Amino acid sequence: MTVSAIEFSRLGPPKLHLFAMKCETCQALSPWWERSHCYKCGGDTLTESELAGTGEITNYTVVYYPPREYVGQEPYVVGHIMMDEGVTLPAPVMGVDPDAVEVGTRVAATLRRMKLGHEGDIYYSYKFVVDDDPAPRKKAPAATRSAVRKPAARKAATPTP
Amino acid sequence: MKVGVLGIGKTPHKIQHEKSLKDLAVEAGRKAMNDAGVSPQDIQMLYVGNVGSVGFNYENSTGLMVAHHLGVVPAGAVRVEAACGTGAWALHLGCVAIASGLYDTVMVLGCEKMNDLATVEGTSIIAQAADSKEEYFSGLTFPSGTALTARKYMQTYGVTEEDLAHTSVKNHYYGARNPSAHLRFECTVEEVMKSAKVADPLKLYEVCPMTDAASALVLCRPEILESQPNRPQVFVTATSMASGTWYQATDTLDDGYNLFAGPAARAYEMAGVTASDIDVAEIYNSFAIQEPLGIEGLGFAKRGDGWKGAKDGSTWLDGKVAVNPSGGLLCKGHPLGATGATQAVDVIEQLRGVAPEGTQRKDAAIGISACRGGPGSVGAIHIYQREG
Ligand SMILES: [Zn+2]
Repeated sequence: MTVSAIEFSRLGPPKLHLFAMKCETCQALSPWWERSHCYKCGGDTLTESELAGTGEITNYTVVYYPPREYVGQEPYVVGHIMMDEGVTLPAPVMGVDPDAVEVGTRVAATLRRMKLGHEGDIYYSYKFVVDDDPAPRKKAPAATRSAVRKPAARKAATPTP
Repeated sequence: MKVGVLGIGKTPHKIQHEKSLKDLAVEAGRKAMNDAGVSPQDIQMLYVGNVGSVGFNYENSTGLMVAHHLGVVPAGAVRVEAACGTGAWALHLGCVAIASGLYDTVMVLGCEKMNDLATVEGTSIIAQAADSKEEYFSGLTFPSGTALTARKYMQTYGVTEEDLAHTSVKNHYYGARNPSAHLRFECTVEEVMKSAKVADPLKLYEVCPMTDAASALVLCRPEILESQPNRPQVFVTATSMASGTWYQATDTLDDGYNLFAGPAARAYEMAGVTASDIDVAEIYNSFAIQEPLGIEGLGFAKRGDGWKGAKDGSTWLDGKVAVNPSGGLLCKGHPLGATGATQAVDVIEQLRGVAPEGTQRKDAAIGISACRGGPGSVGAIHIYQREG
C-alpha cells in the first residue's frame, strides 16, 4: 500500500491514540474509519471517543503472506479485539504463539512501531499484548453494547483443527 | 427479462507471459463474435470489465483500448469496475442495455492481466479493493480477512477445517477435467489439510491463484436469437445486483448471507424459478469458505449446512445441484475483471451441453451465477435458461 507524504500527514497522527467513532444518534461505537455514516442506525454524525485499551480476542487469523510493508514480521497474529467499550477492532496481537492463540484471551493495547511505509515514513500505532491484569476497565461505558460482555459468552467453543 | 446469448468466448485461464492485456481481450472478444456470427461493426456498445490495469499493467481506459483493438469503433465503449464483481457488473449493464430497447447487439468482456508484477505487488493492488489504508493498516490482507470469516463460520456452526476441506476436493476434481483451468490436479482432504498455511485457517488449496484471462459474451434482443433456431437458445432471464459492507472487521455472517440472499430472491422472482429448479451453479470462491456461504445465500442449503454438499455429494455433478463443475475460482484462478464473465460463459456452456468431458451436468436447462466482490461489497446474481 503506497501513500504520499501528504497523505501520511493525514493518516499517521490519528493512529497515535486509540479511539472509536461514536454515533450521536444511537451512541453505538464503530471503528475509527467510520467517520461519515453509522451502520447501526443510519446516523450521519459521529465523533471520536477514546478507548481504555483493554478487550479480548474474539476471532483471529495468522498471516503467512503479508502485504509489502509487513514483510519480515510474518507469521503474525491479527485478532478481532472486542474492546471493553463494545467495539471490535482488527489489530496485531504480539507475544502469542501463532499455533496457540485462544479466543477469549484478555489483551491490552500498547503503542508500537507498526510498519515501514513506502516513502520511509514510519507508522506508530496500537498493537495488543496479553493483559497481565485482566480485569475489564472501561473508559466510557457504552450501555447500548453492554449485552455483548456477558462473561458466559467469553469462552465460546473454538473448533480445534 | 429476456436477453439472448448470441455468442461466448474465453481464453485459457493461466499465467500467460507471452500475451498482453489487449491480446487477451482481443482473443476472447473475437471468439465470442465468431461464435455469434457477427462482425465488430455489429457491436453497438461495449462494456469492458477490468479491475486493475492501472496498477497491474500501468494502463488505463481499458474499455477504449479494447474497443480500438477489437475494431468496434465508433460504438460506445466503457470500462466497468466493481472489485471482484466487475465482470458480473459488465454483464448486468449489457443486459440492461438490451432490455432497455436502446441496443440490438452489445458485447460484454471481462479481462485481467495479473502476472506482469511480482506477487507481493499484485497483492497490494488487490488490497486496494478494500480499505487498504485504514482497515488493512492492521496487517490484514484479502486472504486473512476472509480467514476471519472462515473462523467465524467454524465458531458459529461447530464446523471443522476438515469439514471445509471437502469444498476444495470437489473443485479440484472438476478443475482437473477443465482444459481452461489454471490449476489442474485432484487432491484429497488430507492434502488440503497439509497444504501450506496462507492465513490460518485458510490453506493454499483453499485459495485461488493469480491468473491472466479474458472472457466475452455477445448479447442480443431475444427476437434476434429466436430467428436463428439452429443456434443454442440460451437466454439470460434475470440480473440482480447488491452492495454490502466495505469492511471485514465489522462484517457479520448475516451481512455475508444477505449479500447473496437479497439479490438471489429478486433474481428468482424475475426469472420465475426457485432455488430447487437450478441444475447448475457457478458460485464465487476465490477462497473456499465463500462457496458454502454462497450455497446458503442462494438457498441451496440452510445456514450452517452449505459445506455439507461437497462431502455428501449433493453439490457434485449428479447431486441436487451441480456447484462449480468448472472447478470454480479455486482452479480456474481469479482474473479479477474477467471472473464474472467467465462464470457466465461456463454456465452457458453447460446449458448448451458443450462443457468439457467429465464436467457436463446432464440435461442442464437452468443455471445461475453468483459473483461477489470487495470485503463484502458486491453481490451479483444472473440466471440463464435454455429453451427447446
Ligand atoms: Zn447510530
